Amino acid sequence: MIEKSVWEMTLKNLDKACDFLGLDDGIRSYLREPRRVLEVSIPVIMDNGSVKIFKGYRVQHNTNRGPAKGGIRFSPEVNMDEIKALAMIMTWKCAVVDIPYGGAKGGVACDPQKLSVGELERLTRRYVFEILPLIGPEKDIPAPDVGTNQQIMAWIMDTYSMAQGYSVPGIVTGKPISIGGSLGREGATALGCIYTLHDAVKVLGLNEERFEIVIQGFGNVGWNAARFLYDSGMNIVALSDINGGIYNQNGINPYEVFDFCKESGTVYGFPGTESISNKELFGIDCDILIPAAIENQITEKNAKDIKAKIVAEAANAPTTPEADQILNDRGIFIIPDLLCNAGGVTVSYFEWVQNVQAIFWNEDEVNQKLRAIMDKAFRKVYEFSKQNNLDMRLAANINAVSKVALATEMRGIYP
Amino acid sequence: MNEETNIYEEEKLRLQNIANITNLDAGFLEYLQYPKRILAVSVPVIMDSGELRIFDGFRVQYNINRGPAKGGIRFHSSVSLDKLKALAMVMTWKCAVTNIPFGGAKGGVICDPKSLSRKELEKLTRRYTFELIPIIGPEKDIPAPDIGTNPEVMAWIMDTYSMDQGYSVPGVVTGKPVVLGGTLGREGATARGCIYITISLLETLNLIKGEMDFAVQGFGNVGFNAARYVSESGFRLVALSDSKGGIYNPKGLNVLKVKEHKDKTGSVINFKDANTITNDELFEVKCDVFIPAAIESQITARRALKMKCKVISEAANIPTTIGADNILRDRGLVVIPDILTNAGGVVVSYFEWVQDAQAYFWTEDDVNQRLRKIMKRSFEDVYMKSKEMKCNLRTAAYAIAVTRVIEATKTRGIFP
Repeated sequence: MIEKSVWEMTLKNLDKACDFLGLDDGIRSYLREPRRVLEVSIPVIMDNGSVKIFKGYRVQHNTNRGPAKGGIRFSPEVNMDEIKALAMIMTWKCAVVDIPYGGAKGGVACDPQKLSVGELERLTRRYVFEILPLIGPEKDIPAPDVGTNQQIMAWIMDTYSMAQGYSVPGIVTGKPISIGGSLGREGATALGCIYTLHDAVKVLGLNEERFEIVIQGFGNVGWNAARFLYDSGMNIVALSDINGGIYNQNGINPYEVFDFCKESGTVYGFPGTESISNKELFGIDCDILIPAAIENQITEKNAKDIKAKIVAEAANAPTTPEADQILNDRGIFIIPDLLCNAGGVTVSYFEWVQNVQAIFWNEDEVNQKLRAIMDKAFRKVYEFSKQNNLDMRLAANINAVSKVALATEMRGIYP
Repeated sequence: MNEETNIYEEEKLRLQNIANITNLDAGFLEYLQYPKRILAVSVPVIMDSGELRIFDGFRVQYNINRGPAKGGIRFHSSVSLDKLKALAMVMTWKCAVTNIPFGGAKGGVICDPKSLSRKELEKLTRRYTFELIPIIGPEKDIPAPDIGTNPEVMAWIMDTYSMDQGYSVPGVVTGKPVVLGGTLGREGATARGCIYITISLLETLNLIKGEMDFAVQGFGNVGFNAARYVSESGFRLVALSDSKGGIYNPKGLNVLKVKEHKDKTGSVINFKDANTITNDELFEVKCDVFIPAAIESQITARRALKMKCKVISEAANIPTTIGADNILRDRGLVVIPDILTNAGGVVVSYFEWVQDAQAYFWTEDDVNQRLRKIMKRSFEDVYMKSKEMKCNLRTAAYAIAVTRVIEATKTRGIFP
């Protein structure tokens, strides 16, 4: 899923931020290493009666600003390096948007598509049981990620609650609404990305009526981003998924694409559009490009073809460092992933707050509170980048690292 | 010594061998090949210089189906995750073969305790303990001393855990000072158990004829005490060693005088009433019983070819590589396996934990008698099994241990 380069890139970004902040070697190595790494063995009785052993992980990178927070990934590619990198990214993300969390990530090396519902449930419950000593609403709060969903979050909540002897909805976020999930959670990442886009358009002084938008990826984030932007009157000129892209200069209706996709399994070949390759997608003339797929999509090969004024990183680490340099040199404004896709974890935070207070908000309240957080975070990062003449990514990284370093310094090193 | 030996891979091979012999199915074999939990933690310490340093710490809980996890904590620069996995696995077998209600664990921090000040060592220990708190406890996982740690370090662990709980919990760790709930007879327990087992074997095989010569590798807690008990039991100690080299005198060595010499000079070598020899030469000394009481992987294939003893009594953990084991078997040497020979330490740790739980303490005689009883019973179990299976003592001991762990696993079932 994630290549080694993402781990290295994460460390490089950390180093740059540390250099700027003048942090000493001690605190640097403290921030590089996860606080705790737990590896567990998960025995599951398969439907055919045999016992199979899966490897599970939970990494807590840093908890100085609050409980650890991060998704749980079920995928055959899950490995320790990947989970460590993703946990560190979560630490910075929570710090950038200033929510009181540290970073974590977990996962099980398995192929959920090949497991029966019963096997998946037993796997989930046993995994949760093994990591039980480390998790809890005040300690570490998992969430969905690649290969996991609401149903799995419900099993996690149930297993933890059974062990405690009472219901603990705040142990996990991304739950179904019926057991304490939050309204607005599903579209949160896309909405957060759009709020930062609004902020970027404002500070850049762009004033077109109808921006032309290209979105890579049509999963949860890509689809919701397309929908919200279309609803607010924007012109979606191109969309794509793993099979390829579709293009129409006059605009695409994402709802129709969604229905088409349901039947055909792909956006590719949607009637009334020109079929394009994923490579061509990045070269399309547009105002805003939203990578909403996987890592390492914008590379040195396609960065010079990009015609957008703004790149909004709804995906995690979509831009390689080389491409980043090219885009910066070309004056393209990047809303970095740490900031751009932090809407997901922010509404996860809201879900946890609602669980803790046991009073629930309506969807408008959730979205308004999300907007307030995204706007403030954007403003802080943007102002810092202007004052110090830095690109947005470095500014976001410095913002995050300085908050975590300060919290560490104020608390001191125990004992 | 033998850096290419990965003891975790070797222990997995030993387990696979037992699985074949006992017809263990593939799922359960896989289950036993991996630890239940591995926790790796980052241990930040402010050094005396004011500088912040980060150490890597680990705790491996191998299997807890027979009871709480139990195993030592090692502070040494050679600590690695694979080593700890192997040692935690071996702890599981050790507790099973002696039938005490514990599973296996092991922990450690990559550090050189000799280069740390006392204050740094205390800070390191307390922070490491703090990071482990969610998974340790008197009902969950009970640490103990190992290489580089001692009763004082155990006292810090007990104090850190107790402060976190808000009340004293002596049972969270064993090998504590007696004043904090440690047991009498803990210090010499591993060596004492080793001698009980060795004598049981010599008597059973009718090997005691005239003067019996012993050689001991290692002069730490286990090596020194083993050497002492050898002499006290009326045997002749002809060779000794530590990490700097060995000493040899076919007429016998006075252990207490050697100890005085080591305390003065830092090593056993150059002791006046003996010839100084190399560690390699130590393995070639002609004797009846050889006791490895140092670190892992010391009896290698190369050394095994040249050993001139009749019996090897493994007071160290995993001292013999698989290659060496096969050679020793073919040469007809009797090896009493580590999981039986050195189990005295964990058995008396178990007694310490029992006394902490009941808050009622035994005399040293009580402790030693109970230890002797368990060691004797365990030896008989293993010996009978080896007759029944027509195999060597190691295979028999592993077969008993693995069978007991699997029986517990199957009886409990796979959760959920």
